[in-house]
Parts: sequence; C-alpha cells; structure tokens
Amino acid sequence: MLLGKSLLQLKKLVAEKKVSYKEINDFFLKRIQKYNSQLNAFLTVSKNQETGLPIAIKDNFCVKGLRTTASAKVLNDFIPNYESTVTTRLKKNGFNFLGKTNMDAWAHGSSTETSDYGPTKNPWDLSRSPGGSSGGTAAAVSAYLAPAGIGSETAGSVRQPAAWSGIVGLKPTFGRVSRYGVIAMGSSFDCPGPMTINVEDAAFLLKQIAGKDQFDATSSPQPVVDYQNLMKKTRKFTIGISEDYFTNLEKGLEKKIQESIEIFQKMGHTVKKVKLLSPKYSISVYTILQRAEVSSNLARYDGIRYGNDRTHFGAEAKRRIMLGTYVLSYGYYDAFYKKAQKVRTLIIENFKEVFKEVDVILTPTTPVAALKLGEFEKYPFFGEMMDVLNEPAAIAGIPAINIPVGLDDNSLPVGLSIMGNYFDEASILNLAYQFENETDFFGVIKKGISNYGK
Amino acid sequence: MSRTQALSKDEILHLAKLAKLNLTDKEIEKYQAQLGETIEYVKNLDELNTEKALPTNSVVDLKNITFSDGDKNERNLKIDKLFQVDRMM
Repeated sequence: MLLGKSLLQLKKLVAEKKVSYKEINDFFLKRIQKYNSQLNAFLTVSKNQETGLPIAIKDNFCVKGLRTTASAKVLNDFIPNYESTVTTRLKKNGFNFLGKTNMDAWAHGSSTETSDYGPTKNPWDLSRSPGGSSGGTAAAVSAYLAPAGIGSETAGSVRQPAAWSGIVGLKPTFGRVSRYGVIAMGSSFDCPGPMTINVEDAAFLLKQIAGKDQFDATSSPQPVVDYQNLMKKTRKFTIGISEDYFTNLEKGLEKKIQESIEIFQKMGHTVKKVKLLSPKYSISVYTILQRAEVSSNLARYDGIRYGNDRTHFGAEAKRRIMLGTYVLSYGYYDAFYKKAQKVRTLIIENFKEVFKEVDVILTPTTPVAALKLGEFEKYPFFGEMMDVLNEPAAIAGIPAINIPVGLDDNSLPVGLSIMGNYFDEASILNLAYQFENETDFFGVIKKGISNYGK
Repeated sequence: MSRTQALSKDEILHLAKLAKLNLTDKEIEKYQAQLGETIEYVKNLDELNTEKALPTNSVVDLKNITFSDGDKNERNLKIDKLFQVDRMM
C-alpha cells in the first residue's frame, strides 16, 4: 500500500487516518535494513525516530545530535551541536529524518567513489555509480528507501545523480535556500535542493526550505512564491536549445533527448536555437573558482577544536586543496582566479541575454548514462567532464531541474535538464510538471521503485 | 591536448606547506603531473576577451548587510552551547 507513494500522498494518507506516521517510518526503516547493505546509500540511520514525514538527508547537513561526516574521515565522529537552516525548517514543518546519506567526501566528485566510507551503488545496476556527489540521496530515493531526500549542489551534484539514478532533482537559484549549517564546499555555488519521485514533491519541498535566513548573508530576500500553484498554471513556453550542449553525447542518450524535445514541440511549446558560451569554458572557470573556495573552506579543519587533523584528508580533497592553493598564491591570482571571475561575469551576461529571448533552456544533464564504478579514472579531469553540462548554470547561479526522459540502450535512466532564469523556479517546475503529465517519465521512476518491490 | 608542463617538485612542496599537507613522494609525483595537466587546460580562458568584464563578486546582486547600532544580536551561537567536552583543567 505504501510502496511508491509520493511525499504528498503519504501526507494525505496520514491526514485521512489511513496510516500513522509511525507505520510509515517503520516501513522505510525496514526497507533500509533490507536494501542498504547492497546499496550503501545511508551512512547513519537515525535512532530517534520521531513522528513526521520521513525524508533522507545528505550527510553534509548538520543535524544537531546526529553524526554528520560529509563522508570524510576528518569528521568521522563529528556530532554537530547546532542545526542547519534547511533541517531546522524541515523539522518545524513536520519532517522526520530517516538518516544521513552517503556522498563524495566533502562533496568532491560526481560518483560517490571519493567517499571515505565506500561508494554508493546505482540501484539500476549495482556495478555502476549512482552519480554524485548527492549519490546516496539519489540511490535512496530511486530504490524507495526514502520517499524523498535533500541533496546539495555545487555544480551538478543534485542534477547529475538524479539523472543517473532516474529521479527528479532540483537545484534552486543560488541564495534561494540557506547554506547555513551545510558543510561548505564552494561558498559562491552551494545550493541545497530536493530530490524526489515526482515534480510536485520537489515544488512542495522547495517551499519548505526556501527563503531568507538571518544566518546566511547570501540568502535572498526575494519572496518565496507558491510553487505548487504556479506549477499547475497552463502555460506555453519558448524553449532555448544551444548546439554546444549537444556534442559528444552517447548515441542512445542523444536519441532520448531528441525525442523529448519533439514531445515538448508537440505539446505546443516553441523551440528556438540560442547561442550560449561553450561549456568548455565553464569547466575552466569552475575548476579554478571551486578549487580556490575548497582550499579556503577546508583550511578550517585543523583538528584542534573538533574532528581529526589534516593527515585524514583523502586523495581527492588533497588534490583540490593543492590546486586551489596554487590559483590563489602570489603571482598566479590575476592569471587564474581573477581571470576566472571575469569569465564568470561573461557567462552570467550571456545567460541574461539569452533569457531575453527564451523562457527556459533545455540540455542533456549528462553526456553519458551511469558509468561503471572505477570507470571515472579513465576520463580526464577526474569526472569533471560528467558535470560539463551542469557547470554553466552553477556558475551563473540560475536554477535547473533534472527529469527522467527514458532509458538508454543499456536500460539505464537518461536525464534532461531545464534551466530557468534567476528565481524563476516556478517556470522550470511548470514545464517539468507538464512533461510528467504528458509522459509519466516513460515509467522510469516507477520501474526504479518496482526493481526493489519486495 | 598538447603536451603538458608538469609543476616542479619545489612548487608542489611549497603549495603543500602553504596548505599544511604532508605528502608522500608518490603523491608529490602524481600532483606534479595532474596539477600541470589541469593548469594547462584552464588556460583556454585566454581565448576569451575579458578586457571590459568586471570580476563577479555575487551572482545574484546582493547588497551589503550591516548591523545597526543597538540591535540585539541573536545570530551568534551561545558560547555555553558550543562546548560539549568536560572541563579539562
């Protein structure tokens, strides 16, 4: 009766007194007990199960009294004595945390392979990666060990694992959701976001966590709108497509993306060619700025006040700290960091220009479907190329949503991203919702859940 | 990609010192090559003309937030809530 129910459906069942929160939470705890050993999606399962709507939380959100590691041995035994704003708001709105989900250590990566606690497995094929860094949340939601989850995205870390695990993942505008209490990675990029089994749950969750926060000076004072309502308005969109985002795609994946673009046209939306800057420049801007912010953010881990000392950093964290230190060091700052910030301005202006012509922009979320665990080593830039199509939106700080659009030749989920203008989450949710009503995502999400049906 | 220029061992050791990281000889060798490769790639930004562009300082045009004199400061964590270990001395 409960299998495959959305957050809002579960909420309704409780309101109608057909089921209690305790029964729902027991249901998910049993599923976690049964499947987590093969998936490694949860690192910590919460012992204090209170009543409320169950949800999975990525392990970089500080939850008071609940072990929070960011999948890094430096924070192996860290139990926060304060609460992130996102989890504070969720608690206040009646949610219960099933547990903390695995991720790339410090969120550095696109596969969960850099986790100090072993990789999460893709529920669709256990020999493959679920994507990352929010791979634990993605796998947990895809296999329905949780009805929904919270991830965080610096550049692709919500959308890419959502694409590879076949679920919905929303990265809001930078500043729409408070970063307070989220273990910092790239402070000018980081965005908490919902990962769900349908679009309406994403709209519902965003409303719970969005809004100005006195603890995060970069959180925006823009009013939070009623996403669920706006999402259901009948609208026709002008959709932008930029050619540079459609090169070097895997054949089976490209076919699904093209088919969905045709579906959007059949639904009466207008597709228009636009010219965005090549994503290859976004890789460079992101690599420089994010590494710089990492080296600065991870400088605070000295092991004196809390956590272990710096000898506990894993290989990926060290590599990023080293490069970040390089681009910020004397004599290189202008050539790298400042140059990258200038190109960031060009990317922002480019998006602003294009959004004068179109309402939203469509891109594939990833160039290939889920890779095998260990395969990342073969690709240059240590997996950075997997996020090549996600990085532009992250650099500009605009919102984007991943939706499943079918399965490729290996029966793996394919994801499509809809990017929107600043603070216009309502439009991308609206279009995603229309697509869901038209196609039911070709049954991808339901199939993912039924793979773990027992 | 063209042949990449590796960083020197001294450069790597200097960075490791700045970042307070202890590296093994194997790591030093690895980072010499990998950092060199990455730095070579990001030079593609030189293809773009940034003469007129100002460096980004905020993606969403936020204004400075200031604290008015006399306001009650409710934003800081209380110091007595921060210490969770027993007194040692």
